[in-house]
Amino acid sequence: MALLCPAQPAAELTPYDVEAAYLYNFGKFVRWPDAPAAATAPFTICILGEDNFGAKLDSLIANETIQGRSIVAKRLSSITTADACQILYLGDSEAPRLAKDIAALQQKSVLTVSSMPDFIQHGGMIGFVLQNKRVRFAVNLPNAERNGLNLSSELLKVAVYVNTKTSPEEKP
Amino acid sequence: MTLFTSRRSIAARLTLMNVLVSGVALLLAYVSFFAFNLLAYRQAAVNSLSGEAQIIGANSVSAIVFNDEASAQTTLSALSNSNDVDAAAIYTQAGTPFAQYVREGNTSLQPQTMPAQTTVMHWADGADIQVASRIMLQGKQVGIVYIQAHLHGLRQQAIRYAAVAGVILLLCLGVAMLVGNIFRRLLAQPIISLAQTARLVSRYRDYSLRFTPSHSYRELASLTEAFNEMLAEIQHRDKALEQGREMLELRVQERTAQLRAANQELESFSYTVAHDLRGPLDTINGINYLIHHADYGSLSVQSREMLDRIGLSVKEMLDLIDDLLNLSRANSVGIHRKTLDLSLLAASVFEEMALAHPERKVETMIHKGCYANADKGLMLIVMQNLLRNAWKFTGRSPGAIIEFGCERKGAEETFFVRDNGAGFDPAMADRLFKPFQRLHAESDFTGTGIGLATVQRIIGRHDGKIWAEGEVGKGATFYFTIGPHEPDAPNP
Repeated sequence: MALLCPAQPAAELTPYDVEAAYLYNFGKFVRWPDAPAAATAPFTICILGEDNFGAKLDSLIANETIQGRSIVAKRLSSITTADACQILYLGDSEAPRLAKDIAALQQKSVLTVSSMPDFIQHGGMIGFVLQNKRVRFAVNLPNAERNGLNLSSELLKVAVYVNTKTSPEEKP
Repeated sequence: MTLFTSRRSIAARLTLMNVLVSGVALLLAYVSFFAFNLLAYRQAAVNSLSGEAQIIGANSVSAIVFNDEASAQTTLSALSNSNDVDAAAIYTQAGTPFAQYVREGNTSLQPQTMPAQTTVMHWADGADIQVASRIMLQGKQVGIVYIQAHLHGLRQQAIRYAAVAGVILLLCLGVAMLVGNIFRRLLAQPIISLAQTARLVSRYRDYSLRFTPSHSYRELASLTEAFNEMLAEIQHRDKALEQGREMLELRVQERTAQLRAANQELESFSYTVAHDLRGPLDTINGINYLIHHADYGSLSVQSREMLDRIGLSVKEMLDLIDDLLNLSRANSVGIHRKTLDLSLLAASVFEEMALAHPERKVETMIHKGCYANADKGLMLIVMQNLLRNAWKFTGRSPGAIIEFGCERKGAEETFFVRDNGAGFDPAMADRLFKPFQRLHAESDFTGTGIGLATVQRIIGRHDGKIWAEGEVGKGATFYFTIGPHEPDAPNP
């Protein structure tokens, strides 16, 4: 229950805790293209680069399900192993390799999330932002749609910013 | 109770009954209809509010999950279009308020505790309703949305129903009164006219009247039939009674006439006999007198004695005949009443007796001023008989006293003749006045036994009474009264 207490983050939770919860919750508002083999496989949340969440994320997702699937968290060392991920969090340390990473995920239905500034302007799908000391997020819809992901309007409704136009920067 | 109020009460009761029955029925129908409608209305409102709560919950999922109060607030404010919603709130899973909506002029919402295992719940208190709906995200609860509403429409609905029911109630009461009037005409009116007929019958004793109701009902028809049958029976008996009475009257008259004729015949017979007997007796007396005066000296002592006995017997027989004639006269002569001084009459009778019996020493006391309204001739017979009786029965008493007087008791004057003579046995008192009844031996006191009977007849014909008091050896007192004179009374 404590995992879903958005009203109390200022008191006890760090922005990373909130981000961890959001990361897991995004899974409930995004539809991935049907992949029969993946239907029974665990829902995989991957972290590439610097891991700000640590064990918090693991405890968060334990015994939870997304669309009926159990959840696992994986720490990746390279973008090449990101094929099996549903959600990929790119740590701040990946900033230098961002363009390469995004290019590697081309045509792959992986929801990319990051706390890097201007993440969505550089090919990312959901970027965390701090607004009035609260964790919010911005969405680049074309980036998600291009990879076959369908973001629910509910999700878009609470996003601080939704980019609906194809931007020239995100071209490889 | 007068006819008017009784008529009113029947009509009023009928109308009241109608009004009551229809009023109660209508009220019951209305109340159940009203309650049902209000419940249905409220249930519809609850359903609608529950739906709204669920929609708001669904629309607030992401706002809660991603901590966006502003978004939830916007969703809640959509409720401002629902006029009945006073307040709404979204609570997080932890039970802390997440977003609030309060319509102007209302207080913020006080959430009820939602029982487990329910997704939608409502609490109703009259027109106040609170609806709660759990907000779920993929099988997990993320919060609860509450909506507090006041059903303004409920009140309007109630007022509208009350107005409609009032109008219908009034209409129904009007109809009930109308029906009551018809009932009165149909039911009460025949009963009233039946009562009127009964009253007429009892007032004028006219049993030939019959009741004919203007409408016929089975119950009323049998009542009418019974009533009329009763009247017919009474009429029939009345007639029979009348006939019987007439027949009886006729028979009585017939018998009376027969009796009177027979009596008259008998009286004229006895009068004739008595009168005609005197003729031969007078002859015998005359011859006896001639023998006594012409040839008395030439007769033997024995013959003289026999002649004397013949004279005595003839005199006795003449006395008897006189008495019989008096009795006959007492029965038949007309009575001519006038005021008589009985004291005077008594005095003359005493004088006469004293002359006839100079050897007797009798003290007579006569009260003065004893008046009676009676027939003179008959009263003379009365006085003669009574005083002679007294004279006779004091014959053996030394120092005989005979008293005549009168005393007034109330309006009635009682006359009396008192003596201190032989008296009589009171047990025999009722035999005193019967003809030919004698209480003393002929050898002691001579008499015919007719005198007192004659007296009684005469007193009777004067509507008076006669009675006697006495004791053997202590004298007797005869009392009599004279009835009041009625000039118009027929004298038979």
